[in-house]
Amino acid sequence: MDGVAQLQKQLVDFTDSLFQEGFLDEQFNQLQQLQDESNPDFVVEVVSLFFEDSERLLNELAKALEQKTIDFRKVDAHVHQFKGSSSSIGAQRVQKVCIAFRNYCEEQNIEGVKPWHRCLKCLQQVKLEYSLVKNKLETLFKIEKQLIAAGGSIPT
Amino acid sequence: MCWIEYQVLQLLGEDKAVQLHAVEESFTGTLSDKIINSSMVMLAILIGLLTILTWHFTRIYTTKSLNSLAYGLRNELLQRPISRMWNIINSTTEITTAQLKLSEYVFRRYNKPATQAEQVELYEVMRDITWALFASRKALNAITINYKNGFVQAFHRDHRSNNTFYIYSDLTNYSISAGGSNEINLLSSHQSWKDQSIHGNISAIWYQEPLDPVTGEKIGKAKPIPPDDLIKIAGLSQVPDGVASWHVAVSKYTDSPLLSAALPVWDPSNESIVAVVGVTTALYSVGQLMKELVEVHSGHIYLTSKEGYLLATSTNAPLLTNTTKGPKLMMAVDSEEKVIKMGARWLQGAYGNNFSQRHEIHAENARLGQEQYFIDSFFLKLKRLPLVGVIIIPRKNIMGKVDERAFKTLVILISASLCILFIGCICIFILTNGVSKEMKLRAELISHLDARRRAEASSNYKSQFLANMSHELRTPMAAVIGLLDILISDDCLTNEQFSTVTQIRKCSTALLRLLNNILDLSKVESGKLVLEETEFDLGRELEGLVDMFSVQCINHNVETVLDLSDNMPKIVRGDSARVVQIFANLISNSLKFTTSGHIIIRGWCENSNSSFDIGKFPLNQKKSRPAHKTKLKEQGSHTKKACKQDNRMTLRFEVDDTGCGIDPSKWESVFESFEQADPSTTRTHGGTGLGLCIVRTLVNKMGGEIKVAKKDGPGTLMQLYLLLTTPVDGTEQHCQVDFSKQNLVVLLALRGRMGRLIMSQWLHKIGLFTVEASEWNELTQILRELFRIRSSVYNNGFDAQFSLSEPLSTKVMNIKDMRNPAFIILVDIGLLDLSTDIWKEQLNFLDSYFGKARFAWMLSHDTPNAIKMELRRKGHMLMVNMPLYKEKMIHILEAVIKERNLEGQKKSSNTLRTTKEGDLHEYLEIDATQFDVASSDDSDISEIGSSNSVSGSQTGEKRRERLRKPGSSGYQAINNCLVELTRVYSEENYSTERDPCHVRLNSHDVQNEEPKCCTRASLSSEAQSESSEQHLVISCPTAQGNIYSSKAANEQKSLEGVRILLAEDNPVLQRVASIMLEKLGATVFAVGDGLQAVDALNCILGAEDCIRESIFEDRNTRTQTEIKDFPSYDLILMDCQMPKMDGYEATEIIRKSEAGTGLHIPIVALTAHAMSSDEAKCLEVGMDAYLTKPIDYKLMVSTILSLTKRTA
Repeated sequence: MDGVAQLQKQLVDFTDSLFQEGFLDEQFNQLQQLQDESNPDFVVEVVSLFFEDSERLLNELAKALEQKTIDFRKVDAHVHQFKGSSSSIGAQRVQKVCIAFRNYCEEQNIEGVKPWHRCLKCLQQVKLEYSLVKNKLETLFKIEKQLIAAGGSIPT
Repeated sequence: MCWIEYQVLQLLGEDKAVQLHAVEESFTGTLSDKIINSSMVMLAILIGLLTILTWHFTRIYTTKSLNSLAYGLRNELLQRPISRMWNIINSTTEITTAQLKLSEYVFRRYNKPATQAEQVELYEVMRDITWALFASRKALNAITINYKNGFVQAFHRDHRSNNTFYIYSDLTNYSISAGGSNEINLLSSHQSWKDQSIHGNISAIWYQEPLDPVTGEKIGKAKPIPPDDLIKIAGLSQVPDGVASWHVAVSKYTDSPLLSAALPVWDPSNESIVAVVGVTTALYSVGQLMKELVEVHSGHIYLTSKEGYLLATSTNAPLLTNTTKGPKLMMAVDSEEKVIKMGARWLQGAYGNNFSQRHEIHAENARLGQEQYFIDSFFLKLKRLPLVGVIIIPRKNIMGKVDERAFKTLVILISASLCILFIGCICIFILTNGVSKEMKLRAELISHLDARRRAEASSNYKSQFLANMSHELRTPMAAVIGLLDILISDDCLTNEQFSTVTQIRKCSTALLRLLNNILDLSKVESGKLVLEETEFDLGRELEGLVDMFSVQCINHNVETVLDLSDNMPKIVRGDSARVVQIFANLISNSLKFTTSGHIIIRGWCENSNSSFDIGKFPLNQKKSRPAHKTKLKEQGSHTKKACKQDNRMTLRFEVDDTGCGIDPSKWESVFESFEQADPSTTRTHGGTGLGLCIVRTLVNKMGGEIKVAKKDGPGTLMQLYLLLTTPVDGTEQHCQVDFSKQNLVVLLALRGRMGRLIMSQWLHKIGLFTVEASEWNELTQILRELFRIRSSVYNNGFDAQFSLSEPLSTKVMNIKDMRNPAFIILVDIGLLDLSTDIWKEQLNFLDSYFGKARFAWMLSHDTPNAIKMELRRKGHMLMVNMPLYKEKMIHILEAVIKERNLEGQKKSSNTLRTTKEGDLHEYLEIDATQFDVASSDDSDISEIGSSNSVSGSQTGEKRRERLRKPGSSGYQAINNCLVELTRVYSEENYSTERDPCHVRLNSHDVQNEEPKCCTRASLSSEAQSESSEQHLVISCPTAQGNIYSSKAANEQKSLEGVRILLAEDNPVLQRVASIMLEKLGATVFAVGDGLQAVDALNCILGAEDCIRESIFEDRNTRTQTEIKDFPSYDLILMDCQMPKMDGYEATEIIRKSEAGTGLHIPIVALTAHAMSSDEAKCLEVGMDAYLTKPIDYKLMVSTILSLTKRTA
């Protein structure tokens, strides 16, 4: 039981740190609230959906930015989607970077100047944030799994 | 950073503008100057040319014609003397020729006279012939014949003495022989003959014989005269080459030159000259003629010989000079006549000495002395005697007038042209001045336009910035609020923590509202504000507002009074948030400037259709107010009826304060942006001066007006009216218990004067007796009086030992007459002395009346808990928060009546009483739980106010949450009770009679509650909330406060049975939303884009397995009627940005296909943008509501509920 308590504490601390560091926001809490007996793995399901979707979007973004003439409308749409999905799971920092990226895209549309390396920089930032949040979430789920395996319940 | 950049940008813009302006100015300046200068120069040149040309032409043509005339005249002048001279010369020639011929004839006849006698005879004949010729020509001066032998015969006429003489030489001197001897030599040497004869002549003696000029008879004796003394006899020397010759001669006896001709007479053989005939004519007559001519025309004429000797002049100046050698001809240059002399000199100077050789001279502008003359010369070619005629005419005689005229014309022309030039210059100046003014105006206009453009641009930037900022800020705020919600729903909080978190939650919502307000402000400024149309309870909103502000008022020592007339419609349609905003702004404004006194918000309804007198609106006199009001109330019922027919209402309001007031001159300007009545107050009161501006904009937008009205006392009176519609079915209001039959006496022990006054007036109106007290001593006096008298009624004992004022005592007397009155004593907690412990004694004093009257306590927000506890302990359960308004009063009255009836029942049935022992420990905290902060907002509202006003609802909420926990069955029971109670209350509202069984229910409800909770619960208010919820849920989707309760009431499955189509491309969001909705009991069908959504709508979905399958091509052909028969979805949640077909497009297509079928599926937009423009766009394409991402759980539920309930 001692291990369970420790695991629980670890989980709570980790979750707190995630919130404090701004990786997640209240939307994630909502997700957790939505999880109940009927949908026991709801959070994991949604988050993995998010991972899939994100990988796809990131690939497409990378592809779009490799083009000689960058279709900023397309990039914008992708980023918008990415922003939407990240905000839905509460991945706050990803969302912020997306917003910055989008603003940049809009500027591009207006000015018509296309220094694509700055776009790439944005993309890299997005990727970085994404991988960060992915790692964190995966760690979180791992701890949760361990906790459940140890027979403890997830503290809410 | 952004702000700074923006400012810098603005500054830069201004700099540019200044430069631009300067350039424009200089440009216009130089341009106009150039125009003026060039046009003036042009005009001057033009006019100068015109003048010169005019003058030139007039002058030149006149001069020319005059010159030709003058030339003619001069010519004429000269022609006449010349022709005269010709005549003279001709006649001289003729005579000479005739003489010659006759002489030749005579000589032939007497050829070779041999004898003396013959010789004499020849001379005689010659004499006769010569006489005949001489006599025929009177003008002749002389005719001479000089014979070869030296004999001379001559006739001479002296014109002066008019004598005629015959001159002859002595015959004796001449021999024929001598003549004959000389004859041989004649041909060989003429010279010798001549010399001889001359010598002979000189030695000869001539005789002068006077003759009768007519007959030629000798009339006197001949006398000898020296030869050539009187006349010159032409000799051989005059005809040296044997041809006729002319010359001018002078004689001693005439003062004019003589013209003489000499002709040789040849012998018949034509070999030798036998005689020389000479004819002399005086030129005197020529001079005479000249004189005559000159007399007419003035001027001078003279004739000169080729050498320059004067022959004739038009003057009387002598032509000859007397020298020692006798008279001599004079040169013209030496003439005594000045003009002639000068003219001759001028000619000589101009043309040299031999000018006459050349052709004629016509000089027009010869200056002689002081005057100008015409000088013309003519050349006469006489054989051997060429003559020159000169005419000198003073120019002024001919051209004088012309010159004068020309000069006058020139002067006139020049002056005229100067005038024209001057006027033209003025004209040009005026013209160009106007032009330059116009140019300047244009430049100004341009700069204004530019400024406007820039202002618009900067305003755009600003709103853009504001919108972006608020958008960015909303996200973290949402996070904060969400986290707080989680915290609130957490059970492990202590009460303190709970209240703190609740406060934070409220503050956060307030902050979020502030952000929304910034958005509003930009909307208002850009005029894009769209008012929403929802039903709301105006009275309740205002009450909430007053509650909120009263906190501030109490701090300020200011009393806030809400005075709404009874005819105010309860439910109105409009934009509740904006209406509340208006009043919040007005009240906070009044509050800011009012340090003591009161703020009264009055409101009454005025229907334009009813016969109500609108003219009374400007209530300048405070005194007229009560009368007006009573009238209003009398007509209340009529007005109400009229209101039902016509939905549009004019709601009039006044906000009356006792602050520092506004100067009348500023009454209009306070409504301008950034305008404060007194700038110095900004320091003390703060504020941006935007509040009233927004208020006016909003009021105008709602079809109303606002103005500052005149007020008697100090302070400000704001009057406004709004045009709001009332729902047709909103008639259930105003139905209240008829309190007048309850025999109630209300003792108002309130500190606030205005509130007390207004409340007592209203209570009077509805038929209650009131007694007023403003401070503790008065209260005790009245209480003693009242109950002493009452007891005296029963005991017949005591005298009135306390002196009450006259009206009070009469009132007390009236009350005394009442049968079985129920006393309600409203005590302001402020009447107690809270600074010390005296209040406990005061409470004890009041306790003595506890059984005789009901106490209701007016608490303020800062009333210490100890007092509340003490009151509770003593059994005072009726407590309300300040301020007191009608709704609260009604609640108190109802509670009292209820309690009294209960007591009545208690007395009647003891069994009931035993079961409900603890029931009476009921704490009625009447508060505006319904008041929703979300709809009333203003940046100036203090946090305390907002948090305080909603604390009630929060408390209630929390309590309920806790109630839910112990067991669902228990809760269910309470829930049922609540529902029942609602019904009871609504029934109560309609009935004046009370039903005992309701009391039972009421008490039953109370019984189920835990005692601890009971102390904080407000049953009646809950019931109230429940009843109003029923419509509020429908009408007010944004009211968050209600959602809590609705959530509680409906438990979790609030969306049970609702079928929702979710169109969302983002899989994550799709999943989250589906789970959320499914958790609420809804059936969700999710599709990936707008196209699929449209397709899914077009097919009938009977089965649940259609989830996530979207395209059913085979079913696309379903007809509209089938859809009508089987409406498959209750609602669509539509993401706006989707691939293939976005939400707007999909909505448009759906609405188009619905057209004509009468169907209307509610569509709720889901968008990531928080801009109002998105909202407008959503509503424009036909969506019904609007949710922003990330999805707010509660907001979503309320929105869906409101939409599905409405259509259901």
